[in-house]
Amino acid sequence: MEHILLRSRDISDIRKLDVYLRNGGYEGLKKAVLEHTSDQVIQIVKDSGLRGRGGAGFSTGMKWSFIPRDYPVKYVVVNADESEPGTFKDRELMEFNPHQVIEGAMIAAYAIKARAVYIYLRGEFWDIAGDLDQCIEQAREKGLVGQNILGTDWSCECYTHLGAGAYICGEETALLNSLQGLIGQPRVRPPFPAQVGGGLYYEPTVVNNVETLANVPWIIVNGAEAYKKIGTEKSPGTKIFCVSGHVNNPGNYEFPLGITFRQLIEAAGGMRDGKKCKAILPSGASGPVVPGTDKVLDTPLTYEDVAAIDTVLGSASVIIMDEDTDMVWAALKMARFFKHESCGKCTPCREGTYWLYRVISDLYKGNATLKDIELLADVAANMQGVTICALGDFAANPILSTVKHFRAEYEAYVKAQKPATVASAAD
Amino acid sequence: MSIFKGLGTVVKHLLEDPVTISYPEVERPVRERFKGKHALKRYDNGLEKCIGCALCAAACPADAIWVEAAENTDEERYSPGERYAKTYEINMLRCIFCGYCEDACPTEAIVLEHEYRLSFTDRRDSIYTKEMLIDAPPDGVPETPQKVEPGAFDRAIPDMENPK
Amino acid sequence: MPDKVEFVTIFIDGEAYQVPKGANLVDVAKFYADNDIPVFCYHPKMSPVGMCRMCLVELGNSVDRQTNDIKYNADGKPEVMWFPKLQTACTTTVTHGMAVRTDTPKVTDARDDVIEFILTSHPLDCPICDKGGECPLQNLTMRHGAGVSRFDFDNKLHLDKHVPLGELIYLDRERCIQCARCTRFCDEVVGDPVLGFHERGRSLQIVTLSDPPFDTYFSGNTTDICPVGALTTADFRFGARPWELNEVPSLDPYGPEGANISLSTRLDRDSGGVTIIKRVMPRQNEYVNEIWISDKTRFGHHHSRAENRLSKPMVRREDGTLETVSWNEALNTIAEVLKKSAGSVGAVAGPMVSNEDLWELRQLVELTGGSKLGIWPATMTGAEAVAQVGVGTGTNFKDMGKGTTIVVVASDLEEEAPIWFLRTKQARDRGAKLMLLTARPTKLDKYAACILRHHHGETLNAVNNLIGAVLSSDGFTFEESRAEGFDTVKKAKYKGDEAGYDEAAKMITGAENVVVLVGHEGLTLAQHGDVMQSAANLLILTGHVGKPNNGLIPVWPGANTQGALDLGFSAEATADALSQSVVIVAGADPVGTDPAAKAFIASADFVIALSMFDTATTAIAKVILPRQSVPERDGTFTNGERRVQRFYTAQGLIGDTRPDWKVFSQLSNLIDPAVKVRLSAAAVMAEITKNVPRYAEMSYKNLARMEKQFPDVGGDDLYYGGTAYGNHGGLGVQWPVDAEAAGKKLTLKAVKSEKTAKRKGLVAVPVRRLYDRSPEFSASQMMHQRIPSAYAQLSRKDAEKLKVVEGDDITLVFGDGKVRVTAKVDGSTPEGVVLVPVNLTDNPVPTAPMAVEVEK
Repeated sequence: MEHILLRSRDISDIRKLDVYLRNGGYEGLKKAVLEHTSDQVIQIVKDSGLRGRGGAGFSTGMKWSFIPRDYPVKYVVVNADESEPGTFKDRELMEFNPHQVIEGAMIAAYAIKARAVYIYLRGEFWDIAGDLDQCIEQAREKGLVGQNILGTDWSCECYTHLGAGAYICGEETALLNSLQGLIGQPRVRPPFPAQVGGGLYYEPTVVNNVETLANVPWIIVNGAEAYKKIGTEKSPGTKIFCVSGHVNNPGNYEFPLGITFRQLIEAAGGMRDGKKCKAILPSGASGPVVPGTDKVLDTPLTYEDVAAIDTVLGSASVIIMDEDTDMVWAALKMARFFKHESCGKCTPCREGTYWLYRVISDLYKGNATLKDIELLADVAANMQGVTICALGDFAANPILSTVKHFRAEYEAYVKAQKPATVASAAD
Repeated sequence: MSIFKGLGTVVKHLLEDPVTISYPEVERPVRERFKGKHALKRYDNGLEKCIGCALCAAACPADAIWVEAAENTDEERYSPGERYAKTYEINMLRCIFCGYCEDACPTEAIVLEHEYRLSFTDRRDSIYTKEMLIDAPPDGVPETPQKVEPGAFDRAIPDMENPK
Repeated sequence: MPDKVEFVTIFIDGEAYQVPKGANLVDVAKFYADNDIPVFCYHPKMSPVGMCRMCLVELGNSVDRQTNDIKYNADGKPEVMWFPKLQTACTTTVTHGMAVRTDTPKVTDARDDVIEFILTSHPLDCPICDKGGECPLQNLTMRHGAGVSRFDFDNKLHLDKHVPLGELIYLDRERCIQCARCTRFCDEVVGDPVLGFHERGRSLQIVTLSDPPFDTYFSGNTTDICPVGALTTADFRFGARPWELNEVPSLDPYGPEGANISLSTRLDRDSGGVTIIKRVMPRQNEYVNEIWISDKTRFGHHHSRAENRLSKPMVRREDGTLETVSWNEALNTIAEVLKKSAGSVGAVAGPMVSNEDLWELRQLVELTGGSKLGIWPATMTGAEAVAQVGVGTGTNFKDMGKGTTIVVVASDLEEEAPIWFLRTKQARDRGAKLMLLTARPTKLDKYAACILRHHHGETLNAVNNLIGAVLSSDGFTFEESRAEGFDTVKKAKYKGDEAGYDEAAKMITGAENVVVLVGHEGLTLAQHGDVMQSAANLLILTGHVGKPNNGLIPVWPGANTQGALDLGFSAEATADALSQSVVIVAGADPVGTDPAAKAFIASADFVIALSMFDTATTAIAKVILPRQSVPERDGTFTNGERRVQRFYTAQGLIGDTRPDWKVFSQLSNLIDPAVKVRLSAAAVMAEITKNVPRYAEMSYKNLARMEKQFPDVGGDDLYYGGTAYGNHGGLGVQWPVDAEAAGKKLTLKAVKSEKTAKRKGLVAVPVRRLYDRSPEFSASQMMHQRIPSAYAQLSRKDAEKLKVVEGDDITLVFGDGKVRVTAKVDGSTPEGVVLVPVNLTDNPVPTAPMAVEVEK
């Protein structure tokens, strides 16, 4: 099976520019800049069917094509604020093969004729930022970044920027605010980032995930058709699955889209201690939990198929939970996470995450009634669909889905009969 | 014959207890829910329950109540919250003893009690001031304003009972 | 002028409405459909953020994509494609065929949910909260919300209750619902980003980012627009419950903008049972101040019941002692003197003297044969220029945007007229261009498209050169029919080639509307008159006169300077008036504020001072009459845009005072019994309307006329526009200038440029600061920390030469005057100039530029 994103995983020192160049590095950028026009590049990416790997799964080529052609100032922002619990793919991409990301970003910049590329990294990635800065410098010396790239009249700078440590800054408009030096809160859309008035410094901007852009050089070199052959028709290409939880070998696994949960768990060494899979979080903390039934385990991992089982593929940070997991405890953890990470801009999310956490922690301590389970579900439902960004929905998801699928466990807590198999839970 | 009947009635009544009482030596007890003169209540620590919110004045159909508020400090504390009644006056000539003020009070500070002997010879005396209305502090507890430890009272209004 | 508005059809709850395209949905629903979409964070004067989620509605589209027409079904109802999710109305602008549902269960439920969410963290402080009773959250909770809380009480978050954001505004962190109205007001409306959010999630809270905290002249407005009681003023803290207050329309007594205010009054036990002002709130007048007022206006009302107010007439006896006398005796004493004065009577009226007072004062002076009518401070002039080309009637800064050029000449607008600063800044945000002809950087600089910097005192040449550049610009033509005297301008041979002036000229000739605001910084009275005339010339030459949003606005030093000029007073006459043998000084302190005035008045035998306070002028007066403050009486002021506006009696009298017009009227009657005593301010105004043609329309009835204004504020609508008060006192009336009269020919009177003298030594330039030590303003104790201490500002180079560093105590010597001040050294002060704020020092500083020596 062919790898795209992690194809250079075994090449030592691939992070060095000369090694990267020796292994076909920057061929994509060269091909794009020297052989194609911007519109052609956009068309190739559009034809490849590449979908955003940050979570929403929106067509990347479409996103690029929304940028106004003749507008003078445009930007590319690389979303490297990888904060979703259980996600660690961007980190690996940037740590082991930074030039692949830079190359992808530069191709995107060429496609929309951007003035600059900003790589926005979460605050904890300070070491990666340092490495990236060096890589950018090396690339600049070779004329791959900066003035007159590859001898053409196209110039584009590339910078890294460290966030201050907020989950919400992974949301593209909050990220733009943070990058501008404003408080990290999402903006009201429209205008969208691709429109005038909506992007970085209110100029049209493309915001792409690291993994999305890492696909782009390969697509340019090998063509859209080659890419489309991988994966499924509606979800082409490969995807890095961040498998964590109760499996034997947690880690990043690159597979074509369309493999099943069961295959993925097997690839990750199977369930730890041979236990049964109780529940799966396919998209970190933000997607709904699904129980580990056969129907779920045999679901192909594509954007559409996962949606059909009432959850989302998202960034494909698959957290596997075995039969010993206390789902109320898991929901409590997630509620706490979202309470801590809500930016506070919209009322339902600010107050709702706080409220949910108070109720569920009371429930976990055994101070609740059956009515409180209803309350929990109702509050979570009231948060959905009424907030500016998706965090309000995300925060409600774990509560709603655990109440839906594991109601008995909640009721057990109410009756102060905690399940015998409580995982060691420290709040 | 009828004269005896009449005398009988007289004798019967002579033997009964009289209906009248010799007020003011003797006072007839009032009913439990009798609404007489208002009293401003205190907490056990001597602080006033009234927070000067003037909702009683707003509820008063006779416009008999006048409240002016001021801010508590830890040096001079009248009530547990941020605010207390600097001026609290009831014009007893206007008051119709309807008890709406009692209903409106969020801290149960004003209570219509059993005192009904309200008389005055000058119209001006009909205005009962805060000093005339407020209960004395419990035994051994200092009069307001009290000096309290800074930070002891940090709520805007005293905690109210959870409404059911 | 607003562009031609395109109207589109939208459907609100099934009804079709014609509304302007691109307008905000909340505004449109309120204005056209009378449909109150509840909001907390949205405010019609600020950009939407969609934070509170209270305005959720069902939104749909009924437009056929192919034909771009609205699709109707068989019943004639629009066929609507509804969005699956609820949308925030506040972030939606209306488009053709848009459909909105505000009354479906889905919407109602969402609103109830949002109210419930907000109340989970909101404390039940209502009984003691200053906002309780006029609180948008209270009102909307009564209208929406479940009525029962599912959030357990004991779980409520406890945060700081009493955080002072500076000494004027208190923040209650528990009550805050994070709507960001206050931060947006500071960022967007004022341009002072002094408030911001800190932390995130439920810990998101308002913090002040400036030092001193909440450092803006407009901080009080945040308490009006705060939809809860999170921001309250120190002034009104626990002052009264809002429903107990009586609202009286009044006017800002300080600035030339004529800001409309509402005085909230109530009886007060501590003040002896009289009605007093509990707080000052803005009163909506979209022509004048919209719904904003400065902190000076809001918190500067304490002089009206200051303890040191003069309360009884006093007469100085032979031995120099003052004796309190009855009004009769005082008036008779004055009448005797006036009768014998043989026409040598002068009068000087201060900045807060109403039109009625001025009229009666003039009658009195003329009755005695006198004619010298001066104003104080005598720093600005130009009645003629205003009468020709003052801004057109109907001018409204709110209508200024793209196509408008606002020129500010010799003025630090933020300090001298904060409301105009605010509105100028907002016009610029809407696309208007701002041009500055100033001698030093001010806060407006960062908004300016063009700055023509010149030396202090050389403003006239700057304006003339601008005219020169306009004349020599491409395609400039002048219609001779507009005005006579074009040849004088041509003859004056202004320089048209100064660097940067051609760009500036383009901004004027290319603009649809031009407004020129003229101040007097660095100018003598004569120079100021020339600058006014030259600015008028510029406007006439380019045709920017006689229509709304075009013309001249002088940044007068007082609230009624314009009225004084209209009624025959002038700054030029002030020196003469002070030199008469009998001088009546009404509401001014010339002796205490200008060393030159002292010299003039020394020749007077008999000074009659009408004053609210003991001043240096009352110290030399033979008779002192107590004045009434604005809130104690009826009257009118004329603002810098020539809008005559009424103020009404609001509070109980302090002492035994009488309005000035009554005093003057009674004096006239004593001198000549044939003169009738006027019985009311309205009667005086009736007299003015008969005798002053420009004031013919200014009857009290006309001035009290109202029209529907947008946005709605106060009352049931306070959730929307804030707690500011709706206007029930009238919008006032502007008198039209000559340029507006059909067929009237204007006159161009060219003013010759001055030769720029070689600059020698240091020049003291008086500057106005908003917060000063005038007896009126300094009566507000709470503002004392904000009033700067006496200082003088020097350039770095001059300071180096003088070996003065920041913070040194220095003595300024001018003529025979001397003041001791603290030196401020900064890069913004031009060389050769010492900026000396007026009304900050104990001893008077000059009111016009003057040579100065600095001693350490």
